[in-house]
Amino acid sequence: MTVTSSGYNPEKPMENRVSDIGPRRYDEFYPPVIARNKGKWLYHEFLAPGVLVHTAESGEKVYTLRCGASRLMSVTHLREICAIADKYCKGFVRFTTRNNIEFMTDNPEDLQALKADLSTRAFPGGSQKFPVGGTGAGISNIVHTQGWVHCHTPATDASGPVKAVMDELFAEFGAMRLPAHLRISLACCINMCGAVHCSDIGLVGVHRKPPMVDHEWTGRLCEMPLAVASCPTGAVRQVKVERNGEEVKSLAINKDRCMYCGNCYTMCPALPISDGFGDGIAVMVGGKVSNRITAPKFSKVVVAYIPNEPPRWPKVTAVVKNIVEIYAAGARKYERLGEWVERIGWERFFSLAGLEFTHHLIDDFRDPAYYTWRQTTQFKF
Amino acid sequence: MPKHPTPKLDELESGPWPSFVSDIKQEAVNRIENPNKVEHQIPADCPEDLLGVLELSYNDGETHWKHGGIVGVFGYGGGVIGRYCDQPEQFPSVAQFHTLRVNQPSAKYYDTKYLRAVCDLWERRGSGLTNMHGSTGDIVLLGTQTPQLEEIFFELTHDLDSDLGGSGSNLRTPECCLGPSRCEFACFDTQDICHDLTLSYQDELHRPAFPYKFKFKFDGCPNGCVAAIARADFSLIGTWKDDIKMDHSAVAAYVGGEFAPNAGAHSGRNWGKFDIQKEVVERCPTGCMSWDGSKLRINNRECTRCMHCINAMPRALRIGSERGASIFVGAKAPVLDGAQMGSLLLPFVEVTPPYTEVKDIIEKIWDWWMSEGKNRERLGETIRRLSFQRLLDVTGIKPQAAHVQEPRHNPYMFFKEDEVPGGFERDLEAHRKRHKR
Amino acid sequence: MTEDQQKIVDFIAGKNKTKFYFNDFLAVFPDRGPREVKKVLTAMVQEEIMEFWSSGSTTLYGLKGSGKQGQAEGEA
Repeated sequence: MTVTSSGYNPEKPMENRVSDIGPRRYDEFYPPVIARNKGKWLYHEFLAPGVLVHTAESGEKVYTLRCGASRLMSVTHLREICAIADKYCKGFVRFTTRNNIEFMTDNPEDLQALKADLSTRAFPGGSQKFPVGGTGAGISNIVHTQGWVHCHTPATDASGPVKAVMDELFAEFGAMRLPAHLRISLACCINMCGAVHCSDIGLVGVHRKPPMVDHEWTGRLCEMPLAVASCPTGAVRQVKVERNGEEVKSLAINKDRCMYCGNCYTMCPALPISDGFGDGIAVMVGGKVSNRITAPKFSKVVVAYIPNEPPRWPKVTAVVKNIVEIYAAGARKYERLGEWVERIGWERFFSLAGLEFTHHLIDDFRDPAYYTWRQTTQFKF
Repeated sequence: MPKHPTPKLDELESGPWPSFVSDIKQEAVNRIENPNKVEHQIPADCPEDLLGVLELSYNDGETHWKHGGIVGVFGYGGGVIGRYCDQPEQFPSVAQFHTLRVNQPSAKYYDTKYLRAVCDLWERRGSGLTNMHGSTGDIVLLGTQTPQLEEIFFELTHDLDSDLGGSGSNLRTPECCLGPSRCEFACFDTQDICHDLTLSYQDELHRPAFPYKFKFKFDGCPNGCVAAIARADFSLIGTWKDDIKMDHSAVAAYVGGEFAPNAGAHSGRNWGKFDIQKEVVERCPTGCMSWDGSKLRINNRECTRCMHCINAMPRALRIGSERGASIFVGAKAPVLDGAQMGSLLLPFVEVTPPYTEVKDIIEKIWDWWMSEGKNRERLGETIRRLSFQRLLDVTGIKPQAAHVQEPRHNPYMFFKEDEVPGGFERDLEAHRKRHKR
Repeated sequence: MTEDQQKIVDFIAGKNKTKFYFNDFLAVFPDRGPREVKKVLTAMVQEEIMEFWSSGSTTLYGLKGSGKQGQAEGEA
């Protein structure tokens, strides 16, 4: 490929170099109604699923239309968002922490026109480009990681299972009929670069087989001390092996200590970990980050392993949908999924969900384990 | 005709939720037809090869990406993630497919001029595919080749006034909720301190010198919309010290059914008439509220500011006026010693520019963690290994009951030598005068 | 090369690996704080004596062009 210069001179990297300037200042991008009323908002209301209105001391109102989006987004789609923002929102738009798009206007008529416009936009395959929802006591967009699209240690895809789960739960994205809001997250391996460990429902890619050692390449591709140091459980060690009658230095994995995190593969490509038959998804339940009523909670593993079933992961989506349904039927108003399970008890949750309680679900990893066993006579038969 | 048949991925084009497959295909067409006559600096058909390699993963259930040690542009130790395809002959246009993290403006407000400039840059010098946004908050530009990295950085800094975000053992790109810009619950200006600290700590963000990653997050109130308490090594979560403000006529309007409870967040289902006793007073975790049929009372001294009553009746109850934040430290995902929530370090700090008190605490923590933290040890793990007391010592914060859920269960306490009269050096001869051997 | 820089080069020469965590270099300057040591390393990167290598989650320092993996991808 030809490289058209930006002005950068590779002979003199420091020439004319600008660095350490950080991001653009946030208030350059405020819609005027936001700039005028910052810090002076009085209250908000959900007018409909996906539609918020905030009222300021001045009496001014800002209407926000929230839409779902795929976090993997093309510049063509982004330009379509820009065209919409220019037409209805004075050229401003924002994104939420959960990869939703927010269009804001101070004009209720523009809001209605915008809503009508968005409802007509669809991809050729039939999926909606801008589904409105993700507010209140419902399900918002799923935050997730890269998966097979771009990561080197994933145990599952991310965008695909997210699309499949959101299709299944689509009605709840556009409704506010659950007992409280419900947050779903997906991380494609246990390193959880997406930090999904405090979600109402967390889907986590899990490997189940230790890495293989490609003795032919360890010496050529890897600095072995770094691979040894990268292992969080000390399961990687240097060894001498025989290869073609010659003794060569290589690595060995202690299979009993390996927790399948893939960190050694990051440092040493001769330790491949992915395995089409070993890899899959674990389901976690009952986490939250809000301090509302009860303290923030970690999610707990309720299904140790579901095989990957691309392209639509039917077993995963069925488990998630079932959990949402029993929660919706059983929880009290305002009760988050984790609060509901704690009230009814985990033994009741497993029977209601029809999930088998397997040995994998009893914590045996270091300190926190003991505190999760039962130390009371109070339990349910 | 698509370059690679993708029957499995094609199944993800149906269904109502926005299809990333359809979007990638749309970009593939845009690049081949190229209506704007863009001089693509990397292969125009890379979206098609990306679909091809993803279809391969859908067939064999394994990733086809390798890690590369590329970290960024000259002088930076982060901001770029190197990626190589392990089937480069089959998918040559994504043989190199590196990611750039671009530091987003606080709370992700944009104007379309800026977003279009990002699109133009990325259509010309990258794949045309992004993540809006990555988990930590950056604009993620997904897929380019090594010779483009410096060119992209040059245009980012010169034309877009933007910079790369963090990766590796750096300060990671700080993130915040939208704060007072559009939320009445915000106890401090989350966007401003996020921006200020991002600029103050550019060296930490770009040049790694930490044992491991370090994350700042700023939540304007205890509802925690950016999940600071679960994710950040150092987080500020908004709080207040004085009384919840109450508008008694608005309380009556909620009770009378004129205002929808919880701002209308439950309107999709018939939950019956709003019952202030059951839904607010009895759900209060401290039991500090009472309702006598006409008047709501709050014993504010006992309130722990959980936000439930305010969330339930936002037109009647408002956060107090003496606002600031609590500082929490040490949150992290499970690897390695298990997940940790942020632990309360300082119950209240005023959050006003130039944020000297906050920065002072941050820098004391860094000095300690940089010298005593082990490689690949998150701050939360260092605190566990060396004790919470050590953290209090290095930050000069006084121990207080708010620091614990409950006091310790064992009497294995360490006393400092100067806490004990006479210190640890004892007079054996004097002892022997009192006690025979 | 300054005296400090030479100390770092010598330290690396005495080890059987080519990539180092930042903390590893604190041992070279036991009486200096981490921020001081960072300045030495930053200058060495600017002067193209050293370079970064990242696993994505952690970052290492090494002498420019040394070690494996960079070359393995056909890119020095």
